[in-house]
Amino acid sequence: MTTDTITNDWTNVAETITVCRADELLDGEMRLIDADGRKIGVFRCGDGALYAIEDRCSHDDGPLAEGEFDADACTVECPRHGSLFDLRSGRPKTLPAFQPVDTFAALIEGDEVKLEI
Amino acid sequence: MATPETKAPPLSAKDLSDEERALKGIGSDYEERFGFHDPETDYAYKSPKGLSREVVESISDYKDEPAWMREFRLKALDHFMQRPTPTWGGNLGQIDFDNIHYFVRASEKNSRSWDEVPDDIKNTFDRLGIPEAERKFLSGVGAQYESEVVYHQVNEALEKQGVIFTDMDTALREHEEIVREYWATVIPPNDNKLAALNSAVWSGGSFVYVPAGVKVEMPLQAYFRINTENMGQFERTLIIAEEGSDVHYVEGCTAPVYSTDSLHSAVVEIIAKPGAHVRYTTVQNWSHNVYNLVTKRAVAQEGATMEWVDCNLGSKLTMKYPSIYLLGPEAHGEILSIAFAGQGQHQDAGGKIIHGAPKTTSSIFAKSISKDGGRGTYRGLLEIAKGATEARSKVVCDALLLDSDSRSDTYPTIRIDENDANVGHEASVSKIGEEQLFYLKAHGLDEEEASKMIVNGFIEPITKELPMEYAVEMNRLIELQMEGSIG
Repeated sequence: MTTDTITNDWTNVAETITVCRADELLDGEMRLIDADGRKIGVFRCGDGALYAIEDRCSHDDGPLAEGEFDADACTVECPRHGSLFDLRSGRPKTLPAFQPVDTFAALIEGDEVKLEI
Repeated sequence: MATPETKAPPLSAKDLSDEERALKGIGSDYEERFGFHDPETDYAYKSPKGLSREVVESISDYKDEPAWMREFRLKALDHFMQRPTPTWGGNLGQIDFDNIHYFVRASEKNSRSWDEVPDDIKNTFDRLGIPEAERKFLSGVGAQYESEVVYHQVNEALEKQGVIFTDMDTALREHEEIVREYWATVIPPNDNKLAALNSAVWSGGSFVYVPAGVKVEMPLQAYFRINTENMGQFERTLIIAEEGSDVHYVEGCTAPVYSTDSLHSAVVEIIAKPGAHVRYTTVQNWSHNVYNLVTKRAVAQEGATMEWVDCNLGSKLTMKYPSIYLLGPEAHGEILSIAFAGQGQHQDAGGKIIHGAPKTTSSIFAKSISKDGGRGTYRGLLEIAKGATEARSKVVCDALLLDSDSRSDTYPTIRIDENDANVGHEASVSKIGEEQLFYLKAHGLDEEEASKMIVNGFIEPITKELPMEYAVEMNRLIELQMEGSIG
C-alpha cells in the first residue's frame, strides 16, 4: 500500500484524525469528512496517492468534493463554475478560480487513512 | 462590498417635452445596408433544428476532430442541459433552443483569396466593405459566414515573424498542441449555461498567436455574418500574446432582419503574458432579432495590459460583460463600453475586473444611451482580492436617456479585501436638456444636428480610442440610429 503525504504547510499540523479504513478508499475514490465543522475532501488518485483539500472553491465557495474527480490527472472540477483544481497543490488550473484552496496531509497508517488537520 | 443601484423610472408619454417627443422614432437604413439576406440554395450542410447528442456528434464528425475535442463537446452539452436558464439580466425565457439551427455550412472551403469565395458570400462581404478595409488598413482579415470561416488572410510579413492568425477549426488541425494547452483554461465549459452551449456546438472564430516581442502594427479583423433565419452562431476565439508582444483585434457583426429570433453566443479567451499588450475591439451591430449572449474573459500576467473596447449597437438583447483577471504584479486592465438601446432593445452590458496581484491598476468607463423605450443596463464587478495590495481602480458609468419612455439601470458590484486599495466609483444618469438644445440651436444647428452632437460628445471619450476608420463608422452608426428622430 502506498503511503503518501502532502508537502504543504506542516507547521500548522495540530491533530491527526482517522478518515476510514484503507480498503474503504480505493484508487479513484473520494471521502468527504467533517473535521470540527470544516469539510475536507480526501481523494485517492489513480496511482494510489492520497490528497486532501478543503471542500470549498476559492472562487465562489462551490462544493469541490461534489465535482468530477479525474483520478488519472489528479484533478477535481468545481461543479459550480467549472474551475479545475490540481489536488496535489490545491491550485486552480483554470479560471474563474485563481487562488489555491487549503491542502492537508493525508496518509495511510496501518490499515487506516489518516488526515493531519 | 457595495451594490448601489440607480434607476431612472420611465415616465408616461404625457410627461414628454416637445423636444423629447420630437426625438422619438428611429429612421435607420439598417435593413438596406446590413439587413439583406442571401438565398441558401447552394449550402453544403445545415443541421436540423434543435440540440441533441446526435447534433453535437455530427458537428464533430463533420469537422473530423480529435477524440478529446469530441469528448469536450459532449461533456459541455451535459452541462448545458443540466444548468437552468439564467433569470437575471435580460429576459432569456423567450429563446426557443429547439427552434435553432446549430450548425450551417455555406461553403465547403475556407479561402485565402476573395476570388475563391462563392459569389453570393463574396458579394455580401463586398457590400459590408470588408475586402476594401483589408486593403486599406488591416494586417489580416477573417470572415465568418454562418457557422464557418469562409475567408482568412494575414499579412505575409507577420506570418514570417511567426504570427498565426487563422480560423479556430484550422488552428485545431494545424496547431493542436498550442490550442489544447490553452483551450478552455480561461472560460471552462461549466462557467455558465451559454459558455456550455458554445463549448458543445462551437464552430469558427479566430485563433491568434503572437510570438514574444512581436508588435502587430495594424489591427487584425474578424467579421461575423449570420444569414440564415433561426440560426445560432457559436464562434470561439482564442488569443495568446506571448511576452512583450502587442496586438489589436477588431470584430464586427451584422445579420439580416427577420421576424423570428436568432442566437449568437460566442466565447472569447485571451492570455496576455508578461509585458504583452492586447486590445480587443468589438463593434456589435446585429439586427434586432438576434440574442447576443457572449462570454469574454482575459488574463493579464505580470506587467501586461489588456483592453476591451466594447461597442454594442444592435441585437434584441445583449448580455456581455468582458472580464479581465489581473494575475501578475503591475498588470493593467481597461474596459471601455458603449451601449445604444433603441426600440425593443435591451443592452445589458458592462465589465468585470478582478485584481489578483499587487500593484495592479484598472479602469472601467461605461456609457449607455437609451431611446424609444430601449433599456440600457450597466452591470459590473470590481474585485480587489486578498493579496492584491496597492491596487488602484476607477469605475465610471454614465447613462443618457433621450426620452421619458426609456430606461437605465446600474448594477455595480465592488468587493475589496485589501485595506490599501484605492478605488473610485462614479455614476450618472442624465437627459438631453432643453437648455443644451436651445444653446446649440442658437448657434445655427437644427434639433437633429444638435441631438447628434450631444450624443457624439457623450460617447467621444470612448470613440476616440477606436482606430480612426472605426471611430468614423461608429459615429455614423450612431447618427443612423438617431436619424429621423426629429419631426
